Amino acid sequence: MNKIILGRYIPGASFVHRLDPRSKLILSFFFIVVIFFANNVQSYLLLGVFTLFCVYLSKISLAFFIKGVRPLIWLILFTVVLQIFFTRGGQVYWQFGPFSVTHFGLVNGGFVFCRFVLIIFMSTLLTLTTAPLEIASALEALMLPLKKFKVPVYEISLMISIALRFVPTLMDETEKIMNAQRSRGVNFGEGSLIKQLKAVVPLLIPLFVGAFNRAEDLATAMEARGYRGGEGRTKYRVHFWKRRDTLSCVLFGLLTLLLLFLRNW
Amino acid sequence: MSIHFKNVNYIYQQATPFEQQALFDISLTIPSGSYTAIIGHTGSGKSTLLQHLNGLLKPTSGQITIEKQIITPTTKNKALSSLRKQVGIVFQFPEAQLFEETVLKDIAFGPKNFGSSEQEATQLARQMAHLVNLPEELLEKSPFELSGGQMRRVAIAGILAMEPQVLVLDEPTAGLDPRGRAEIMEIFQALRIKQHLTIILVTHQMDDVARYANHVIVLEKGRLLASGTPTEIFSDPDWLRTHHLALPQATRFASALQKKSGFEFSKMPLTEEELANQLVQQLGKRG
Repeated sequence: MNKIILGRYIPGASFVHRLDPRSKLILSFFFIVVIFFANNVQSYLLLGVFTLFCVYLSKISLAFFIKGVRPLIWLILFTVVLQIFFTRGGQVYWQFGPFSVTHFGLVNGGFVFCRFVLIIFMSTLLTLTTAPLEIASALEALMLPLKKFKVPVYEISLMISIALRFVPTLMDETEKIMNAQRSRGVNFGEGSLIKQLKAVVPLLIPLFVGAFNRAEDLATAMEARGYRGGEGRTKYRVHFWKRRDTLSCVLFGLLTLLLLFLRNW
Repeated sequence: MSIHFKNVNYIYQQATPFEQQALFDISLTIPSGSYTAIIGHTGSGKSTLLQHLNGLLKPTSGQITIEKQIITPTTKNKALSSLRKQVGIVFQFPEAQLFEETVLKDIAFGPKNFGSSEQEATQLARQMAHLVNLPEELLEKSPFELSGGQMRRVAIAGILAMEPQVLVLDEPTAGLDPRGRAEIMEIFQALRIKQHLTIILVTHQMDDVARYANHVIVLEKGRLLASGTPTEIFSDPDWLRTHHLALPQATRFASALQKKSGFEFSKMPLTEEELANQLVQQLGKRG
């Protein structure tokens, strides 16, 4: 349960921590787009160095980021293997039926691996340095223009905030219920597939019942305190765009220019 | 079943940045057939300690002996499943573990997991439902239709149905009204006398400790602070106060009385009855 690093916030006061959540959010998305421009070793190297620089700025140990990759490692390896086997071109090293390992395949596999790792590092950086509620409120601020098109921005952002807020609560609850059922003789993750599926029922039912009860309590508590939706609500968290945010944007702009240059080199 | 902890340390999420040590070098003995109370503040390591009792957690270092079974950091999980039948844990707010269609099925869930036949399990379930004073007409209802207090009893019956030799109770009366509280505590007491269970009770209710326990373990910040009989533990009000632990009501009353008036208590009373007896004696002497 406690192995999931993605979506966990580590409080701090580093440069990255103090950035406006809106700029962090935009720049993380921007980085994910920019990554697809990289097409050779030099450009990946540039992005790698840049990511490590950002990690350094956050003052958070690299071990956290490597742990963030771990839950996704099988997905990554699967994709890499597909790339290696099905990309054609260049020198052929090995061939069997429709499968072949070629020079291009290996290179592409390596690139895909780097791309995954860099994307995970960058999004982990966002979630490690930004409290979940900050992300939600940044999302709300960024979605605000969509109100013109009758998108229920406040409601969406409230839903996101509540969902994020209850992730740790539900994880704790899951662990508690698992312990209780283990004490009654359930073995999770053991035996045949059918047995394992059956073992999930005593976990899921109490979890759902608990979640529904909690939702009801929360709704009552909000109404008791006069919650009436988004219109005219003032905010506890107000975002300020500072010089370091502009600086970060300029830095990302330069990175993009450099990348475009390296791409055609 | 007697339980021994020997230099037990436990560290949560070891070798991660979230690493946190919850137990520090705990060595203690819980004698067979005792009624042991574990007291301490939130965060003192009570819950972590409990989870070691049936192998939900294994010590990071040190060794636990439960009857003949030895648990070390390298013990295989498979070897622990038989232990779970012998040591039944009633967790805090155990009604959160109910899931079956009917009350009876939910109580029978534990014994079935430990190899009882459908018939045996159902019979045990009826017996235990009776033991915890659940009315017969509730047995075929969904557990989610019951009141909070009734759900609590169903959950407790579910653990009792496993016929454990050691019963571990983590604040079993939290959130119940005074009557339900007394009733449940009396059920455990009766069970102990009838079936010679070893009972381990985690609680903040010092009155329950004074009334039922014959052995007390005090934890503070993951370390063993003291252990002994309730009389020993509650004999020094000042010591308890410095560790932010409460006294049983009768003891608190006696200690205040001692300060304000001429009463002298050679042995601090723990329960209302003891207090009343000693007062009667002393008042008698004064004439």
